[in-house]
Amino acid sequence: MADLRTNIAGIESPNPFWLASAPPTNSGYQVQRAFEAGWGGAVWKTLGDPILNVSSRFAAVSFNGQKVAGFNNIELITDRPLEVNLKEIYETKKRFPNHAIIASLMVEPRQEAWHEIVKRVEEVGVDGLELNFGCPHGMAERGMGAASGQVPALVEQQTYWVKEVAKTPVIVKLTPNITDITATAEAAVNGGADAISMINTINSLAGVDLNSWNTIPHVGGKGAHGGYCGPAVKPIALNMVGECARNSRINVPISGIGGISNWQDAAEFMLMGSTSVQVCTAAMHHGFRIVEDMIDGLNNYLDEKGISSVKEIIGKSVPKYSDWGDLDLNYKVVANINNEVCINCNKCHIACEDTSHQCIDMLTDSNGNKMLKVREEDCVGCNLCSIVCPVDGAIDMIELPNELVPMTWNERQHAVGAVACEIDIASK
Amino acid sequence: MSDYAQYLQERDQIDGLLNQGYSIKSITENLSGAFVEFEKIIGSTITSETLHILTADARKYFSVKLIHR
Repeated sequence: MADLRTNIAGIESPNPFWLASAPPTNSGYQVQRAFEAGWGGAVWKTLGDPILNVSSRFAAVSFNGQKVAGFNNIELITDRPLEVNLKEIYETKKRFPNHAIIASLMVEPRQEAWHEIVKRVEEVGVDGLELNFGCPHGMAERGMGAASGQVPALVEQQTYWVKEVAKTPVIVKLTPNITDITATAEAAVNGGADAISMINTINSLAGVDLNSWNTIPHVGGKGAHGGYCGPAVKPIALNMVGECARNSRINVPISGIGGISNWQDAAEFMLMGSTSVQVCTAAMHHGFRIVEDMIDGLNNYLDEKGISSVKEIIGKSVPKYSDWGDLDLNYKVVANINNEVCINCNKCHIACEDTSHQCIDMLTDSNGNKMLKVREEDCVGCNLCSIVCPVDGAIDMIELPNELVPMTWNERQHAVGAVACEIDIASK
Repeated sequence: MSDYAQYLQERDQIDGLLNQGYSIKSITENLSGAFVEFEKIIGSTITSETLHILTADARKYFSVKLIHR
């Protein structure tokens, strides 16, 4: 059995699976039940001045029968007084001393406000702090959350204020509602962050009711944008984790968040540079006990790979993540249809004919059977046919031997530019 | 003509000039594709040819030839 113990910036936990700061970590009752189920850590629902919430807070996007493909919420931070939360944090930590409890914090961007809450929270024995610079709704309208997190100077300044008094590791949670998340990640590092976490939720509106014309959700006929999360956001989050992990100026560990629903998702985030992962939507959909499958699945994966510690996979895919300009333009894959498996539904033909490169022919073999065949010379290797194919194994994308030596766009442009330079020199 | 057939035709044109002793002198790329000017110098005689390359694969091809000339 592999060692799943995790240490992120000095915060230790029995496994890398933490509950993200959200409704599942609203109270000591919930967090203790989560720890009993097996979660290695929990980021307590954001503490700050107790807020007022509206009723009708969540909405989900289903897709083709898949419930909760995406999840939208307009709930704010804790609505309970700080003292109540601190008492429950203290009791929970006392009962589960080896589990990580991280306090998520959000206050107005004033030095005194940050100093006060940091000191009070650390007094009860939290293992670390997570600064919520990401909540996109409600709090942002008051200058907090994403409103702070979208301005690198504010991220740096507030992180610095926290670090002036913090005795425990400080994680800065970043908003994805920004063009380049590495800008705010760098700002957090410059402010002294010990780690960063991402992503918080994405600005969203789950839908519009076609009968009432109300937004989904709506509060008495009115709606407001919320924060989107769940499986649909995973690719966005994974990219942002990867972009930060491969940036040499962002030299702190990452806690990955965004649509992580099973051990495979968690392993992907860790391979792309996350030291720990945080989960919310999957727990809200299926309950705390999903962590059992996550732990077992990750353990089995590591055992099958002969890896003794989960730490060994952290960041292993990062060197494989690059810029488009560094990809080999002469690498080539083509589609290969396995006619023994193909059911002749023609979805690949339709997709290729209508929306790609018209290289799948509908033929009839010598026995009069319909068959599909790829004209390899015209196939650009877009993968679309294999993506839309409903049958596993019916279409393989196969690598062709390189006809030309590898050449990236950047190498090409350098060479083309050099020709132009030669001409300039010659003409003078 | 398929893109592939057109690529083969353009590749043959490029190879043909290179095999005749031409080398790539300049490349102009714009909305219409690539205009590759080839030049051959024999003594004091300079001859040049320009190919208008349309296909993406042929634009990769002459680039590889340029890098590995």
